[in-house]
Amino acid sequence: MSDLLDFQDAFVAALGGAPSALTPWLPSRQAGEAGLAVYRNTIAKGCVDALAANFPTVRDMVGEDWFRAAAALFAREALPTSAALLDYGADFPAWLDRFPPAADLPYLAAVAHLDRLWTETLFAAEAASLSPQAFAGLPPAALAQARVALHPSARFARFEAGVPSLWSAARAGQAELELSETPEGLLLMRSAGRVTHRVVGLAEIAFLTACRAGQPLARAIGLAAEADDGADLQSLFAALIADGVFSGLKSGTL
Amino acid sequence: MTPAAGLGLKPQHYDDALAATAPGLWFEVHPENYMSAGGPRLDALAAVRARHPLSLHGVGLSLAADADPDPEHLTALRLLVDRFEPFVVSEHLAWSTHRGAHQPDLLPFPRTHAALARIADNIGRMQDALGRTVLIENPSLYLPLTGHDLDETDFLAALVARTGCGLLVDVNNVFVSASNLGYSAQAYLDALPAAAIGEIHLAGHGPDEGGSGLLIDTHGAPVAETVWSLYRRLIDRVGPRPTLIERDDDIPAFAVLMAERDRAQALIAAWEPVYV
Repeated sequence: MSDLLDFQDAFVAALGGAPSALTPWLPSRQAGEAGLAVYRNTIAKGCVDALAANFPTVRDMVGEDWFRAAAALFAREALPTSAALLDYGADFPAWLDRFPPAADLPYLAAVAHLDRLWTETLFAAEAASLSPQAFAGLPPAALAQARVALHPSARFARFEAGVPSLWSAARAGQAELELSETPEGLLLMRSAGRVTHRVVGLAEIAFLTACRAGQPLARAIGLAAEADDGADLQSLFAALIADGVFSGLKSGTL
Repeated sequence: MTPAAGLGLKPQHYDDALAATAPGLWFEVHPENYMSAGGPRLDALAAVRARHPLSLHGVGLSLAADADPDPEHLTALRLLVDRFEPFVVSEHLAWSTHRGAHQPDLLPFPRTHAALARIADNIGRMQDALGRTVLIENPSLYLPLTGHDLDETDFLAALVARTGCGLLVDVNNVFVSASNLGYSAQAYLDALPAAAIGEIHLAGHGPDEGGSGLLIDTHGAPVAETVWSLYRRLIDRVGPRPTLIERDDDIPAFAVLMAERDRAQALIAAWEPVYV
């Protein structure tokens, strides 16, 4: 092992609370305390600021102090793996789910998950969305067998309760937040540089899940009907096209 | 390009940056903030770049780690360089990655001969990946480390000689480090090889709120008068260089930052060669 790596191992150990590890590189053990505290604070601030930027709805719900304390604990367990901090926090929702102080906010991990999807949508690759005309040109039988590619920015998730409505209301700045018991989904998309989102039903989620898995449209429609037999499937499909959710269309064999 | 003064570009100032018409004005960003597959932030940077020169100032490649630079990071950086055609690309004499984890800070190390060889190698890899030379910035230091084989100025000069890189001199970092570690900022600046200096950074600092007596390179305050004095003396000696006002915390209105930028611009414009 190199001297440089020895030093870096010792430095990281000292950051983590074992300052004596760095003593061989200091005039005295005490000489490093103030400086190490500066590095420790800067690293924690970098992580917490990145998480605050990436999880604004969680922060608004729990308040700045609670958020920063929780984020600092998370950062100690899971430092970023990349210097691109815009991608930091993929594991934060699951961590919140296990975080004992969040136990009386059972929807918090789900809210964090939606914040994460919002960030993924914002930074996803560019692609042109298909227009309604792209679908109108196909005969019905060909359309039934066609498969679609979802836009790179499209994200969706379903929940056993009304977290999507709660999250949407929080994002809109509403102070009074209520969690309904109705299962819901949320669909997020980026269009013309802006992230849009809407609360959707279980039929849309079933349909999009099938599309993402490469099922033909007829099968996706069938699964949507199974998820909600009251859904208006024609309007559902038209609305998703209008959202710009589809970026590719591959005709099936007849 | 005639040297001019620029500003660190913050997202809240995109519209101001687009509208700004000051002659010579350029902008600098951290490429790490733009390492995404797509999205409006890249569009905003492209719009600013269409009107102003741009510098990419890396904070996360971790050139002083005892490891090769992350190939994914280099690929992402190359994509940004190819797309935005910056007039300068820079990185720090520091490390941040360690065994797969990224510490978002610029960390110190003992300046040994072995470290010099490793870092020169890493700078070479960076320059090879980008197909151009880069500038290396002196860090702010907070620890009185022992075990150095070289002074920082000699270390930087040796990197220049070995790799062909240039230097980005952060005058505030020199002031902060000199204050924290007890040496002369003036003597440090006088020892830097003038021809290698490709850019200068100016930023604000503040006292450690923990009461340790250390100065912290916060980028959260206006440039201190002592740092302006050091800057004037530096350009008197080496000539004008592209000079950046950096502000990353407690960010004021664009006009406030432009006033600081215009002060640097005036010093650059007033510079005259001294014949002796």
